[in-house]
Amino acid sequence: MLIYLRKRIVSSALPLVVVIVGVFALARMTGNPASLYLPLNASQQMRDDFTARNGLDQPLLVQMADYFGGVLRLDFGQSLRTGQDAAAMALRAFPATLQLAATTMVLAVLLALVVGCWAALKPNGVADRISSFVSMAAASIPDFWLAIVGIWVFAITLGWLPTSGVSGAGAWVLPIATLLLRPFGVLVQIVRGSMVSALSEPYIKLARSRGAGELRMVTHHALRNAAAPALTVAGDLTVGLVNGAVVVETIFGWPGIGKLMIDSILQRDFAVLQAAVLLTAVAIFALNILIDMGYALLDARVRPVTARA
Amino acid sequence: MTSSSTPLFPASAVKWPALAAGALLALSGCAVSNSEAAPASGSALRVVLGQEPPTLEACESNLTSTGVVVRSNVTEPLVERNPQTGELEPLLATEWKATSDTEWTFKLREGVKFQDGTPFNAEAAAFTIDRAVNSKLGCNVEGYVFGDADLKVKAVDDTTLTVTTPEPDPILPLRLSFLEVVPTSTSTTAKVREPIGTGPYKIEKWDAGQKITLSSWDGYWGDKPAYAKAEYQWRSESSVRAAMITSGEADVAMGLSPDDNIGDLGVDYPNNETVALRLEATKAPLNDIRVRQAVNYAIDKEGIVSSLYQGKHKVAAQLVPEGIVGHNSALKGWAFDLDKAKALVAEAKADGVDTSAQISLVVRSAQFPKITELAQVLQEQLSQAGLNVKLKMLETSQHLTYQVRPFAADEGAVALMTQHGNQAGDAAFTVDQYMLSTGAQSYFGTPEFDAMIKKADAASGDDRKKGFEDIFAYQNDKVVQFAHISHQTGIIGKSKSVNYTPNSSSGDELRVSEMTPAS
Repeated sequence: MLIYLRKRIVSSALPLVVVIVGVFALARMTGNPASLYLPLNASQQMRDDFTARNGLDQPLLVQMADYFGGVLRLDFGQSLRTGQDAAAMALRAFPATLQLAATTMVLAVLLALVVGCWAALKPNGVADRISSFVSMAAASIPDFWLAIVGIWVFAITLGWLPTSGVSGAGAWVLPIATLLLRPFGVLVQIVRGSMVSALSEPYIKLARSRGAGELRMVTHHALRNAAAPALTVAGDLTVGLVNGAVVVETIFGWPGIGKLMIDSILQRDFAVLQAAVLLTAVAIFALNILIDMGYALLDARVRPVTARA
Repeated sequence: MTSSSTPLFPASAVKWPALAAGALLALSGCAVSNSEAAPASGSALRVVLGQEPPTLEACESNLTSTGVVVRSNVTEPLVERNPQTGELEPLLATEWKATSDTEWTFKLREGVKFQDGTPFNAEAAAFTIDRAVNSKLGCNVEGYVFGDADLKVKAVDDTTLTVTTPEPDPILPLRLSFLEVVPTSTSTTAKVREPIGTGPYKIEKWDAGQKITLSSWDGYWGDKPAYAKAEYQWRSESSVRAAMITSGEADVAMGLSPDDNIGDLGVDYPNNETVALRLEATKAPLNDIRVRQAVNYAIDKEGIVSSLYQGKHKVAAQLVPEGIVGHNSALKGWAFDLDKAKALVAEAKADGVDTSAQISLVVRSAQFPKITELAQVLQEQLSQAGLNVKLKMLETSQHLTYQVRPFAADEGAVALMTQHGNQAGDAAFTVDQYMLSTGAQSYFGTPEFDAMIKKADAASGDDRKKGFEDIFAYQNDKVVQFAHISHQTGIIGKSKSVNYTPNSSSGDELRVSEMTPAS
């Protein structure tokens, strides 16, 4: 496993560099941020001063060499917008998103397992039809709309929850519910599908013939085999959540990395954008490794291959 | 997250993931939120803004998002403009006069202290001006208010300050009303995110990403404000800001849209913003004044104001609204006359102008409420006049390349949707930028027009007022770089528990000391 891990780390370094170089170059192709940061009537002198002060007058390769030199010394530069350390801003925002995404995914997986198994017990039964309808709807509702409706119903009309913000446990409910719906919908269908096929396997019939209870059969026998595809999809969905929480973060005023990235793109705040992208890329890379390892633990067929690799 | 997915594999039980979820929730609760909700009224005033201030640096407080928290709350200027009367009023300076063509002398208030305990004096005032205007810090206020001109400052004695300008400047005190005074201990080499000032509130805590708390400062020279604290949060969606007022989570919400429908919790105020199309007269077909006039006739301003903005905006005939020195109240908006517009276009075409050439209608997404709808209406109305209009919705940074010099080249002539806010109260801040032939936001001008502007800039009193009034009339008559649409009305959300009447400067400078709890 350690060898495997080391190999994965080495092979992931290249994509990381490509991502950073790409973001670096693309961001700078969108133009000089001077006019965003200077008054509209700034003179050419002021523009030149700004450009020179931020090193934007240097050739792209020189800027890039400077930047990577800094990264190696763990200096990610300063935010143009706030004057703060870019890495500190990214590191402050990241846990907020991570917590939101992790909590959401745990709940989505749990709910999907329960509902998916329930539906799979009797394919085309009432439970299956209800859950199929609900999960399809859940997977297709736009989160922006859902968030606004959620605020209107639960914060304004009923007054049960705060509209937004991060203070108190209540503030977690609407963002999580909004984020949860789509992964839940997708996962229910995956779990149902793989449970239906697992439950028709010979070993289930054997277990059933030996008198195993329905619940024990599902949890001890079928689910273990059906969980692997769900885990893979859940991992992908988690990656999507870390990236895609921006709508929820924007609406609910959640100080996360998605919002930070969008703001730094719109504000051409290059250093912050790069720090945020790098951090997210590293996190996604780590997540992928964990998913692979989890998969190996769940499915013995995968293990020898990965161990040899 | 990892602990959440790995415990799944002992498929025997659901308890591990459940525990993990619980633990995560608890953990995250601790890490992200350590603030408890404030009481509904009384001790703390809760304000919700559209965005987190990028900084609270005093020399950037002309930026709306910074100034709305800092100005007159944390820091104070020497003089301040009364938004209702337009008059300058004493603040840290008690009196001022021009002592020569280029020199102004200010008498400063005695007994004022900074929040760090050091005394406010002429040295601090001189330091503030030097730091903001003459330094290499690149303060936003420098370019906005002072341009490249350096000022000579001198602390004659503790309470006397002289400021010398390179050219005669009749509105120097007005310009100085944008400079928030900071103590001499403030860094001159770096901007300061949390300034020290002389204002009624000091910065207690800034939870980055979440909340800024100001608390009333006991050493304030003036009256103690009614609210002991002011708490600022931010939400980018105006509907969420409105919801926070409705649900009682906030007392004041900035920048609401008519669509937010919060009834009598929304308070209208003139925000001094004017919307207009700026026409690029160097390219066909806009290079012909008849086509630019046709643009003006083709726009149904009354219709736009009543259908898109519920009648709350006012039809505009110039770039500055009432209340700004130089506003010409005799000017009326161009009549909506489609036949005349068509006739003018036809006339231009007969004279060889290529009226089929494309005009790019360049618009910034989400710049103000209903801008997309407005852009579509304009595109349709100009097309009806016989013009070939292509709509381009751009994000801020791209839009700026069209908005300020050097202008981005486009495949055709540009009609740029511009929203101009004159927060200074004097038309000079408008015409220098928008109408001088070399102005940062002006496509063109004429030598005669430039001369009128320079003359008005240097004049004072009634001559100044008259000069600018003539300039606005001349633009509509002879230049026609602009097709004015409307003077906007801002909406602030305000809970019943707060007494406050917003004014034209509330969006840039929200004075907490002017608010009181309703009993």
